[in-house]
Amino acid sequence: MIKFLLKGLIRDRHRSLFPILSISIGVTLTVLMQAWVTGILGDMIDFNARFTTGHTKVITRAYSENMQQMASDLAIVGVDELTDDLEKEFPNMNWINRIRFGGLIDIPDESGITKSQGPVVGWGINILTDNGSDIERMNLQKAMRAGKIPTKSGEILMSDELAEKLNVKVGDDATFLGSTMFGSMAMQNFVIVGIVHFGTTALDKGAIIIDFKDAQEVLNMENATSEILGYLPSGKYNNELASEIANDFNSKYSNSEDEFSPKMLTLSEQNDLKSMLEYMDSIIGIIIFVFIFAMSIVLWNIGLIGGLRRYGEIGLRLAIGESKGAVYRKMIYESVLIGLFGSLFGTIIGLGFSYLLQTKGLDLSSMMQNTSMMIQSVYRAKITPLTFYIGFIPGLFSTIIGTALAGIGIYKRQTAQLFRELEN
Amino acid sequence: MLSIKLAFRNLIGAGLRTWLNVIVLSFSFVIIIWNKGVLNGWNEQARHDMVEWQIGGGQYWQENYDPYDMFTINESHSAIPQEFKNDIANNEMTPILINTGTIYPDGRMQNVILNGIMPNQKVLKIPTEKLENNSNEISVLIGKRMAKNNKLEVGDYFPIRWRDANETFDASDAKVVGIFNSNVPVIDQGKIWISLQQLQKMLVTPNEATMLITKNVDRKNAEVDGWIFRDHKFLLSDMDEIIRMKNVGGSIFYLILLALALLAIFDTQVLSIFRRQKEIGTEIALGMTRWQVVRLFTVEGAMYSIFAAVLAAIYGIPLLALQAKNGFPMPEAADSYGLPIAKAIYPTYSLGLIFGTVFVIFIATLIVSYLPAKKISKINPTDAIKGKIQ
Amino acid sequence: MKKILILILMTIVFINAQTPSAEMILEKIDENMTSENQVVTSKMIIHGRRASRIIESKSWSVGDSKNFTEYLSPAREQGTKMLKIDDNLWIYTPSTDRIIKISGHMLKQSVMGSDLSYEDMMESQELTENYDAKVTGTTVIDEVNCWVINLIGKVDNLAYHKRKIWVDKNKYIPLREELYAKNGKLLKRMELKDIKNINGRWYPTKMIFKDMLKRGQGTEFVIDDIKFDQNIPEYKFSKAGLKR
Repeated sequence: MIKFLLKGLIRDRHRSLFPILSISIGVTLTVLMQAWVTGILGDMIDFNARFTTGHTKVITRAYSENMQQMASDLAIVGVDELTDDLEKEFPNMNWINRIRFGGLIDIPDESGITKSQGPVVGWGINILTDNGSDIERMNLQKAMRAGKIPTKSGEILMSDELAEKLNVKVGDDATFLGSTMFGSMAMQNFVIVGIVHFGTTALDKGAIIIDFKDAQEVLNMENATSEILGYLPSGKYNNELASEIANDFNSKYSNSEDEFSPKMLTLSEQNDLKSMLEYMDSIIGIIIFVFIFAMSIVLWNIGLIGGLRRYGEIGLRLAIGESKGAVYRKMIYESVLIGLFGSLFGTIIGLGFSYLLQTKGLDLSSMMQNTSMMIQSVYRAKITPLTFYIGFIPGLFSTIIGTALAGIGIYKRQTAQLFRELEN
Repeated sequence: MLSIKLAFRNLIGAGLRTWLNVIVLSFSFVIIIWNKGVLNGWNEQARHDMVEWQIGGGQYWQENYDPYDMFTINESHSAIPQEFKNDIANNEMTPILINTGTIYPDGRMQNVILNGIMPNQKVLKIPTEKLENNSNEISVLIGKRMAKNNKLEVGDYFPIRWRDANETFDASDAKVVGIFNSNVPVIDQGKIWISLQQLQKMLVTPNEATMLITKNVDRKNAEVDGWIFRDHKFLLSDMDEIIRMKNVGGSIFYLILLALALLAIFDTQVLSIFRRQKEIGTEIALGMTRWQVVRLFTVEGAMYSIFAAVLAAIYGIPLLALQAKNGFPMPEAADSYGLPIAKAIYPTYSLGLIFGTVFVIFIATLIVSYLPAKKISKINPTDAIKGKIQ
Repeated sequence: MKKILILILMTIVFINAQTPSAEMILEKIDENMTSENQVVTSKMIIHGRRASRIIESKSWSVGDSKNFTEYLSPAREQGTKMLKIDDNLWIYTPSTDRIIKISGHMLKQSVMGSDLSYEDMMESQELTENYDAKVTGTTVIDEVNCWVINLIGKVDNLAYHKRKIWVDKNKYIPLREELYAKNGKLLKRMELKDIKNINGRWYPTKMIFKDMLKRGQGTEFVIDDIKFDQNIPEYKFSKAGLKR
């Protein structure tokens, strides 16, 4: 029977193409909407997680007192052992080490004399270490403006506005000056192999990225790290899960008497993100609810319209002996097929657009100048599992409900009356 | 007139179908107006807060002053120009002296910016009267964020160290005499407020200042040698950009929502033209020009937006009014990102916003109604009466 | 208690009768402590929040104006060199093979994590030129009788407006020095100990330097070896010398 219905649908453009097109557009919009709202509202949290907070973060108690200071003398020592423990206790989590530090970048001219200098914040991340897991996490590929990602020790990435200020290009030498974990002078030559754009002015004005092992070496942090970030296997922040892990860890490893004992913080415990998180969840919920509601009404209406225009045909079918129930059922089946196709197409197209918006993003940075806030200037959509099926809710169900309502007319009217509509 | 009457009757006659479209379109009205209202409210509030707490009516900056360059801040002060003396005495203007310093609350070192301000000033809302005292000790005023970060309370003492204009170290214990609560983070994080006279004494820079803040925006700001006037456009540019960004980000949402409503209207139009071929044929046969019929259908479609506006008004006005009264709650952390954000934003809806939104939606509806109706102009009335148009 | 008080009062009266002028004391200190040049091997003991660390270095200096320091250990620091000529400071590390001038903001940083900043290190010691000195009393430190000299800045551009120096009455060696902020708040304190006779001069071989506003135990300097009036080749005090 499906084959028969399909044939009908394909042959009668009014019965198929038009509703499917409408549903597809509607579903596309729904899918895009969900991805977009989740993307722009979730971006900040996600950005924080990837760059600074992790889903959970292990630091020493002393370091946690004043995290902004990035005091490397308060780092975690014995990090290899601690990471082993973490991997054993919480095998599902991704644990990665990072070092954050401050210092000065000094650019030499041909004779080695200082040409330019500027203060920087630095990141020691997994580029050569741990299969370069942070390259993707920190979106480095996409952030590259020139050059390449370091492939060997001694190579660094520099933020674009800093590079411009220091008047350097890919291939130039740069000397880092800072202090080691013990306060000694840390001085190291690097080669700038890439220029990156973070999209946040604060970082773009003065940041360098080096490999974690290089950072350990330069800052004299053998077997030490400033922080261990933990990421949940789903890649999405879940406060309950993170809190559970943090409580479990703290009860076993943290000692309030020892200021150098490790302590695990969840994302929501850092940077006052807790209220922000709750706020975003509720806003996303409200927006999606309103939109789905509106969308459902629209598609319901389309279903209704689709049913109405076929009263004449139905009259004919009743006249040649089909029962009202059979006609009604077939209409519903058809609407299921239409809804399914429409939702499917719509979801595919919507996902396509969302993917485009997720990877390319909408760059609004030309509208943002001289700000030093941690706000991204590129808006991105985000595809979540919900994106894959959210379109089917209004697309399929609303269409069926609309058709069902329109079909009630079949029972209300006389066959003759319906048949007459055919004459029109 | 006739077409409007007819269109009205046709729409009411269509029952549920009409109302479904109208409901969706009315959502667009309410949500767009509400969202823009919240942004307007935030913008106004933030500007208001910044004017009251931070920038006044505009500022004269000493020519070397660059708030983003810590290295030059200590060299960016000079004598307060003679021509401002009267304005300062009349509280039309107030001088601020800025210098770097180091504080050691609980033995921990932290770099701060010292701000000298007249205790009796009436230009900024900072409760500077608390700085008025005759004792020799340094009294300071700090913001709530600064107090929280450094675990300081009113009555606490902490050492401040600074270098005077001759680069000589000086240090003293300072007493927190007040903690103010402002939505503007810029005057709070990393800032210490001291009486101007006190700071001038500390730095050995008598009668000098880094900037002068004016009280009124519409003041005539003459050019003064060595000083640069910064107006609201300059000082609020970050704020303006953020609001503009939020507007663009939000517009995508409106566009999608509006597209949805318009899709519904488009579909309805296509169907009604299909179903009412006979009517169209008859109308043309009876002497209406094709374009009159096109107009009738277009008006019918556009009327959805009128209905939607009425419906939106019925449930939207109380809803939006309630929101304007109670405010839209903001998360506490929002202002950690550097912009002033109050605990709640009170949306403001301007007449321009409301009429603008109605107008834009009306035009959009008109267009999507016209597009399918346009087909009518090509109709052969005989075929139409027979119902032979696909 | 009363006895001690009387004793102190008596000594003050007694001293007043035969107090040398502060200028004279400072001159005597100079005479005793400065030489044409000196070569010092020393240890710096830095007490961090977590652990203490020892850094060994050897330095060649001529008066106040020229100083060349080479770090000997730990291995990481080995070969790092610093050159100071008047108000300029350059640093060299073998791993980078670069000479970088330390200026501006960097001068405020601590030297090797100690309580001493580069600025402190750069500070001129020409006390009699810049300060009005006055003997204000006498006291006993570690069973040694001392003069207490107050120094108040004569010129404007001094980092420390006021200093206080405790000088061993017999050996003319400073035993303690305190650096004050203009309004009298104590900022830094140095204590000099383990006075030894080296080539006929009395010389303190241990110094404790402490930033009084900061938490912590301060930094210790211990002189292992000191030689006076050596033959130091001139290239030591050139930028080229840093790379040798």
